[in-house]
Amino acid sequence: MLASILATGLAMGAVYALIGITYNTMFATSRVMSFTAGQLGMLGGVFGSLLMLQWGLPLIVALPLTLAACALVGVVTEFVAVRPVLKSLDQHLYVLTTLAVALIIQQITAIEWGTEPAPFPRLLEVGEGVWHEKYWLPVAACAVTIGGLEYLYRRTLLGHAFIAVAEDNFAARALGLPERNLRIGSYALAGAIGALAGFSGGQLLLAFFANGPLLNFYGFIPVALGGLGNNRGAVIGGLALGLFQQAANFTVGGIFSSVAVFVLFIVVLLAAPQGLFGAAASRRV
Amino acid sequence: MTLTRRQFGQIGLGAMAAGAAGFPLGLARPALAQNEPIRIGWLAAMTGPSSAPAVGFNRGVEFAAAAINAAGGVKGRKIDIITRDTQGDPTKCVNATQEMISQVKAHAIWGPTNSGESLAVTAIMARAKMPNVHPCVVDSLIDEKRYPNAFRLAPSNTQWDDAVRNYCLKILKVKKVAVIGDTTGYGVSAAKASVAGFQKDGAEVVYQANIDSTQPDMTPDMLRARNAGAEAIVVWSVSTGMDARLFNTRAGMGWDVPFVGHPSMASGEIAGLVNKPENWKKVYAIGYRSCSYDAEGKLPAHTQELVDRLKGKVSLDDTLLWWVAGGYDAVQLVADAVKETGSSASADIIGYWNSLKKYPGYFGTYTFSPTEHNGYPTEDVVMSEASSARSGTFALAPGYS
Repeated sequence: MLASILATGLAMGAVYALIGITYNTMFATSRVMSFTAGQLGMLGGVFGSLLMLQWGLPLIVALPLTLAACALVGVVTEFVAVRPVLKSLDQHLYVLTTLAVALIIQQITAIEWGTEPAPFPRLLEVGEGVWHEKYWLPVAACAVTIGGLEYLYRRTLLGHAFIAVAEDNFAARALGLPERNLRIGSYALAGAIGALAGFSGGQLLLAFFANGPLLNFYGFIPVALGGLGNNRGAVIGGLALGLFQQAANFTVGGIFSSVAVFVLFIVVLLAAPQGLFGAAASRRV
Repeated sequence: MTLTRRQFGQIGLGAMAAGAAGFPLGLARPALAQNEPIRIGWLAAMTGPSSAPAVGFNRGVEFAAAAINAAGGVKGRKIDIITRDTQGDPTKCVNATQEMISQVKAHAIWGPTNSGESLAVTAIMARAKMPNVHPCVVDSLIDEKRYPNAFRLAPSNTQWDDAVRNYCLKILKVKKVAVIGDTTGYGVSAAKASVAGFQKDGAEVVYQANIDSTQPDMTPDMLRARNAGAEAIVVWSVSTGMDARLFNTRAGMGWDVPFVGHPSMASGEIAGLVNKPENWKKVYAIGYRSCSYDAEGKLPAHTQELVDRLKGKVSLDDTLLWWVAGGYDAVQLVADAVKETGSSASADIIGYWNSLKKYPGYFGTYTFSPTEHNGYPTEDVVMSEASSARSGTFALAPGYS
């Protein structure tokens, strides 16, 4: 039982963490919580299944194509749902626009792909039992992603530019940084990260159009737990969520495990509204 | 049928002449009615989610209409199928129903084909006294007092439940069952009704649960069911993903408990979702005797007659035979009502259906009366070997003669 809790809990936790990072990446340059994050994860699974099982492409081709396709979806989201409402962020219109795009993505997938879950291929044919690749691939993908982002943000000029826009986009623009292009870039990056979540977790989640809302909800929790914009917090929050959820499945079971997860979520937010790893918001007086 | 201006004038003059002669004007209408096509409204979710049944039903509908019309129609009247794609959306279905009633002036309506849409339009059709036959399973859709116009040619949820329980208790002879549903409204209510039924019949429900169908790991619930001593697992879910995960988990546990329940367990998608083909064995899904083949691979003679007629004209490879047969029967029920009563008036069609006893359809042998509009015989609801699909039919589960 413990092995099952650890294997499934860490795997699902890593998927939730990657979706949380997707939220954060889009938020960093636009101050918009885009509710397309879960749909990008869903598309990662669907594109992976389409390219590998139906079109017969090898992993080495299918993975980059999936990431590129979802990056494109991310860019379209920026153009269609984010840019038009940036001037009125205080009205929170982005909730409507990003939810609308998420709904469109889900409906198109349902019509074109189908409403039944489709199989996702084994990627590396490595491991059995609790060492099956479906359990450790999402964890590995999460580790690679967080490592890559740390490198990008800390060691590259482009990463510094991203951080500059995230800190203060007006100042960044005044310094001559291409704020709009950087925002488009961050949505493309978020699309690829969301796709990686769905692709690496495809063997657990299957290629299923209804995975989007699930990932939207459970991917948001690590963001709230870890602090908005804090990727390391999202990873810790995501893994903790996965482990707690799987433990709840074993102890209280089925429908009550979701209740347990949300009860814990509310309790944590009551105790630390800024998230466990987020800094308290400063207010100018 | 299209009227020319001259024909219209002739009819008008005839009516005026009849009126002048002291006959009621209404006498001119039967002549027109006797030649006009029999308009059958067909509310079909042909696209969008849940379109597979309507696509299958439609093949039977078109085949039946073509066959009847090729044979000269019904007393010289052609069958005219007016199809509206409702896309599985209750709002679109309401609009289409209103159109059928007020503009198309359909003589009868077949469909819709899913309960969500049917719940939205049943009362509308009842107000218009529109003869309606549908295949939806929700029990409340049939109420002979509130909806005297509505008839069901497929089993209800209760009949499915009875068939599953009878198979577990009388054929598998198990005493302890686990009942699992998904967390949808259907899964919760179906599992609850199933538990009540088993307990009423003296069986012990050792474990019951509603599982989120997207839950990636079914081990916790399967372990609980095994530890509770379940001898069979009854599943009420339309989610093929959840079904496949349950089967894979059972295999991983090395447990050989049988699964019995919802027809989705026999869905073709499961073949790609199970880790190994043998994981899908010992799974018995709800099926129908008319569309099941026996140990020798033979279908019932009446069904074989339909399959022979369909051969080369209607594909059965990507659909279920009962959908095609049900669509055929629906059209034939309307045609026979007009043929036997000589009228396409709604009261006459409803009256004819109410008089049917053991009407030999291809999908089922229907019996209706003014107090019973669930026409499908419960004894013909059987369990099928879930992994045995062959041209839209299934093998009878073990234990049936």
